[in-house]
Amino acid sequence: MKIHYGTALAAVALVAVHILMRLTMNYSESLEYENVLANYKFVPYAIMLELILILLSVHGFNGLRVILLELKQGRIYEKAVSYGCLAAMIGLIAYGSRTIIMINMGLV
Amino acid sequence: MPQDEHKEGIKGMANPRRYGIERVAYLLMRLSGLGLLAYFIGHIYETSNILRGQVGWNDFMEMISTPEGHIIMSIVIAMCVFHTVNGVRVMLGHGGVGVGKPARPDYPYDPASQNYRHKIGIYSAILLAAVAMMYGLAVMFGE
Repeated sequence: MKIHYGTALAAVALVAVHILMRLTMNYSESLEYENVLANYKFVPYAIMLELILILLSVHGFNGLRVILLELKQGRIYEKAVSYGCLAAMIGLIAYGSRTIIMINMGLV
Repeated sequence: MPQDEHKEGIKGMANPRRYGIERVAYLLMRLSGLGLLAYFIGHIYETSNILRGQVGWNDFMEMISTPEGHIIMSIVIAMCVFHTVNGVRVMLGHGGVGVGKPARPDYPYDPASQNYRHKIGIYSAILLAAVAMMYGLAVMFGE
């Protein structure tokens, strides 16, 4: 539960900053290609996005694991759910990190 | 013969009328959590479209910037606010805040932790989610 609560509290603070960035200008303007690209290229913001990605992935997939374990129990099932959620979490972090790193390093 | 309420499976667990607002909060917490996880995965995929360059990004933005897209986004905002506020309530309750003092269990054995403070917390979470949803709709459709 400590991991779930810790990631939740940290994510609330960082996601609030992420959403407020959308409101610093007109909503649709903030989603224009140049603005989004500039956000990714600003290193502190890119680090924050990476942190949000890790925190929400851990929180989300741990939550999914808990829901699935509430529905059904069993040694093999529980192991499959836990490792499945861990694999999905790592996959999502890797996919999201790829976007952040590629844009930040100017590969787009 | 009346059916044993403990043998109703997911249907029995999901019945929001039997156990009061706390059970509704429990259900909404899980549904909003699953919804937000689905949105988060979609959001990671959505933002990866920027790697396709300006044309690819604009095409994708055009595809999701529809009234339906805005309505889905406003539901996501509501789920996010409910999940956050109710999550803070659950964390406080887990830490012993607002659950009352330990006392001898007397008839009718009302759980001390399911008191008016936490009920107010649940109703506040629902209300704030509705307000945030309206704000989101105003921002997205007001342009």
